[in-house]
Amino acid sequence: MKNKSIGDYLRRFSVPLMFVIICLICAPISGLSPNYLINEIVTRIGRNAFLILSLLIPIMAGMGLNFSMTLGAMAGEIGLILVSDWQIVGIPGMILAMIVSIPISTLLGLFCGKVLNMAKGREMITSYIISFFINGIYQLVVLYLMGPVIPIVHSTIKLPRGYGIRNTVSLLSMRQHLDNLIPLNIMGVKIPVATFIVIFLLCLVIIWFRKTKLGQDMRAVGQDMDVSRDAGIDVERTRIISMILSTVFAGIGMIIYLQNMGNIATYSSHSQIGMFCIAALLVGGASVDKASIGNVFLGIILFHTMFIVAPKAGTVITGDSMIGEYFRVFVSYAVITVALIMYETNKRKNKSKAGMQLALDQEQEEANG
Amino acid sequence: MDKSKKRRLIYRIAAFVVILLIAAAMFIIGRGHTVYFDNKMPENVGTEVSVPYKIEVIVADKTVAKLKSGERGMADTMGQNFKMQLLVTKEKGGDAARLQVGLKLPYNMDGIIINLPALLAGLDENAYLSEFVYVPSAEEMKEEEVVTDDTDGQMNFEG
Amino acid sequence: MNEQKLTLKDLIKSKAQEFGLPRLIITGFLLLLLVLSPIVGADLPTQISNIINRFSWNGILVLAMVPMIHSGCGLNFGLPLGIISGLLGATLSIEFGFEGPVSFIMAALLATPFALVLGSVYGWLLNKIKGGEMMIATYVGFSSVSMMCMMWLLLPYHSPNMVWGMAGKGLRTTISLEGYYTQALASFLQINIGNLTIPTGALLFFALLAFGMWAFLHTKTGTAMTAVGSNPDFARSAGINVDKIRMISVVMSTWLAAIGILVYEQGFGFVQLYMAPFYMALPAVSAILIGGATVNKASIMNVVIGTILFQGIVTMTPTVMNNMIHLDMSEVIRIIVSNGMILYALTRKTEGTR
Repeated sequence: MKNKSIGDYLRRFSVPLMFVIICLICAPISGLSPNYLINEIVTRIGRNAFLILSLLIPIMAGMGLNFSMTLGAMAGEIGLILVSDWQIVGIPGMILAMIVSIPISTLLGLFCGKVLNMAKGREMITSYIISFFINGIYQLVVLYLMGPVIPIVHSTIKLPRGYGIRNTVSLLSMRQHLDNLIPLNIMGVKIPVATFIVIFLLCLVIIWFRKTKLGQDMRAVGQDMDVSRDAGIDVERTRIISMILSTVFAGIGMIIYLQNMGNIATYSSHSQIGMFCIAALLVGGASVDKASIGNVFLGIILFHTMFIVAPKAGTVITGDSMIGEYFRVFVSYAVITVALIMYETNKRKNKSKAGMQLALDQEQEEANG
Repeated sequence: MDKSKKRRLIYRIAAFVVILLIAAAMFIIGRGHTVYFDNKMPENVGTEVSVPYKIEVIVADKTVAKLKSGERGMADTMGQNFKMQLLVTKEKGGDAARLQVGLKLPYNMDGIIINLPALLAGLDENAYLSEFVYVPSAEEMKEEEVVTDDTDGQMNFEG
Repeated sequence: MNEQKLTLKDLIKSKAQEFGLPRLIITGFLLLLLVLSPIVGADLPTQISNIINRFSWNGILVLAMVPMIHSGCGLNFGLPLGIISGLLGATLSIEFGFEGPVSFIMAALLATPFALVLGSVYGWLLNKIKGGEMMIATYVGFSSVSMMCMMWLLLPYHSPNMVWGMAGKGLRTTISLEGYYTQALASFLQINIGNLTIPTGALLFFALLAFGMWAFLHTKTGTAMTAVGSNPDFARSAGINVDKIRMISVVMSTWLAAIGILVYEQGFGFVQLYMAPFYMALPAVSAILIGGATVNKASIMNVVIGTILFQGIVTMTPTVMNNMIHLDMSEVIRIIVSNGMILYALTRKTEGTR
C-alpha cells in the first residue's frame, strides 16, 4: 500500500484531472461569464457541502459510499414540512426543523445500521435498496398519514383531498435566511457567511471526531473487522453509530440545502440527492474506502462547474439543449461506475498481492484464460 | 465504573432537556405571522373614526406599505412582539406625523388584520385586531396529481 | 439435505421455512385480494386475465435473472443494458421498414448482436470485479441508460413514426407499435372466454424460453454454471474455466433481457425510450426473489411463481383498494413490498457470493 509511484498518483487523481479537462474545454464554449460561474459555485458550496460531508463517516468505518443518506434527507424534509405547517419561520424554523429531524434520522440510521450489519460485504447495494425501501415508507407517511394521523392544518401544504402533502411545499418564509444572515459581497460575489460557518464547524467536528476513541475504533473497524473484534471493539455498535451520525448530518444538510432552494419538491427532492452527492465526492478524488474533507470541496467545485457548464456547452455544440442535460447525468453515473470499478479492482489486487502463491497462480490462470 | 455511567446518564438527560428547551424557545420566537394593514373605516365598531388620507407603514426600517384611504397592505413578521412606525398624513398635502406602535400579536393566528384608523383612534384590541382567514382560491383547491415517479427526478436536478 | 427421519410436523415446518415467511405473507395477501375482488365488485375474470397478460409481458425479463444467479454473479441489476440492446433492435427494425409480426422477428434478430457484444463487455467487466458485481451492475445499467439518452437524440433515425415531428430528428420518448408488432405474440392462438383472455402465443414463447433455460441448466455447461455459482474454488479445481462460464451466463442474461423487453413491448403496445429502462431491473429482481430465489439460487419455478405473485399484487391492489376504500395506495405498497423483498434477500446469510 505504501509504495506510491507516479502511476498510483495519476490513478488516484485521474477522475479530478478528467473533470478539470472537461471544465476547461466546456467553460469557454458555454459563454458564461466568470463572475456568474464563481457566484454559482460559491452558492453551491454553501448548498451542498454539509450534505456531502455527511458521507465521510461511513467511509471511515469501511461501509463504503452511503447511498442511504437519502434517509436523512427524508427526515429533514419531514421536519421542514411540519415546521412550515406550524408556521415557525426564519432561522428558528430551521433550528426547529433540525431538532424534529434528529430523532427521525436517528431511528432511520439505527434501522439502516442494523440491516447493513446483516449484509456485511455488500453494504453499498444494500444501502442503495434501503433508500428505495424507506422512500416507500416516506411516501406512506407523507401521502397518507399526514392529514388524518399527523395533523396538517394549512391548505397551502395539504392536498385539497384532505390528506397528503402537495407536490411542492414553499419555504419562502425561510428562503436563504441562513445564507443572508451575515451578508457579505466581495466584488459581486455573494458569500453565504453563516452557512460557511456552519459547514466549517462540521469540518471541525469531523476532524475532532477522528481523534476520539470512537473515531479511532471506527477507523480500526474500517481497516479490519476481525482484528478490531479481537481487540475488544464492539464492531456492530460502532458501525451502527457511524450510520446514525451520517443520517443525522444528512438530515441537517438537507435542511440547509432546501433553505437555499426555497421550496421542497416533496416526492423528488431527496431521490437524487444521494447520487449527486456521491458523484461530487468521487469527482473530488475520493474513493470508496478513503475520503477527506479536501475531496469534498474540490469535488463540489469541479462537479458543479461541469454541471453548470455542460448543458450550455452542449447547446452551443449540438444545438440541442437536452444533449447537455443528458451528458451531465451520464457523467455523474459514469464517475460513480468508474470509481466503483477502480475500488473493486484495487481491492482484488491488494488481496492477491498479500495473498499466497495459490492466489497468484489463480490470477495468472485467469489472465491467461 | 458505576459512577461514570451515572454521570453519563445525567449528561444525556441534561442534553435532552436543553434540546427540548431550545425547541420550545424556537416555537415561541419563531412563530411567523402575516400582518395585514387596513386603512379604512372599521366595521361593527359603533363609533365613527376618521380615516387618514395616507399611511406609510415601516417595519424594521423598511417601508412595507403606502396606504391611501381604503387600501390594504401586508408584512410578514416573526414572534409576537410586533413593532412598526406609522407615517400618518391626515389630509392631502398635509404634514406627516410619525408615531411608534408596539403590538402584542395573538400566538394562534396566522393572519392578522390591523385596522389602522381604529388603532390610531385608540379603540380597544377587538376593535382594531381581527383574524384573517385564508380562503384558498378555486385554482388552489383543484385536485393535483401527485407525482411519485422514481425516474422523474433524474433530469431536473438543480444541484 | 440430510437423510433424517422427519415427523410430519417437522416436514411442514421445514417446508414453511423453505417457502419463507415473506413469500407466505405475499401469497396470503394475493389470495386475500382474489377473494375480495368479487366482493368489492371487481370482475374476477378480467382481473385474472390481467394477471396472465402481465405475466406474459414480464416473464422473460424475470427469466433473464436466472443465469447470472446460477453462475454466482448475483442479481442482475444491470438488466437495463440488455433492455437497451432490445430497444436498439426494436428501433432498427422499424427504421428498416419491417411491418407486422415480421418486425418482431427482425427486432429480435437485430437485437441479438448488440446483446452479444454488450453482454460480452459487461461479462468481461464483471469478471474483473468479482465480489462487487451487484453494485457495479447497477451503475453499469444507469450509465448505459443515460448514455443512450444522448444516442437516441443523436443517432440518424429517420422513420417518421419514430422521430419528433417538428425537428425531424431525435427519437420520441414513446413510440407506438400499431402496425408493427403490437400483440404479435399475444394474438397468436388467443383464447377468449367471456371476459377471460389468454395470450397463448406469448405464454408459449415464454414456455419455450423457460424450457430452453431448464434444458440448458442440465447440459454440461449448465451444470458447470451451477457449480461455479455454488463454489467457485471447487469448480476451478475441477477444471472448469470459471471466467468463461460467468461470461456465458452474463451474455445469456443480457440477451434474455433484450428479448424480454421486446415481448414486453408487444404486450404493452409501445416502445419506451430514454429514462424508461432506468429502474426496470428492480421489479424483475424483486419478482424472482418473491418467487423464492436467493442471491445465489434460482429455478424456473421461482420465475413463474414470482412473476405471478408480483404482477398479481401490482395489478390487483389498485382495483381492489379503489373499490374498497377509494384510496389508491397500490404504488406505495408496490415500492415497499418489492424493495423490502430485495432487502430481505440481501440480508440473508449466503455462502459463495458476497
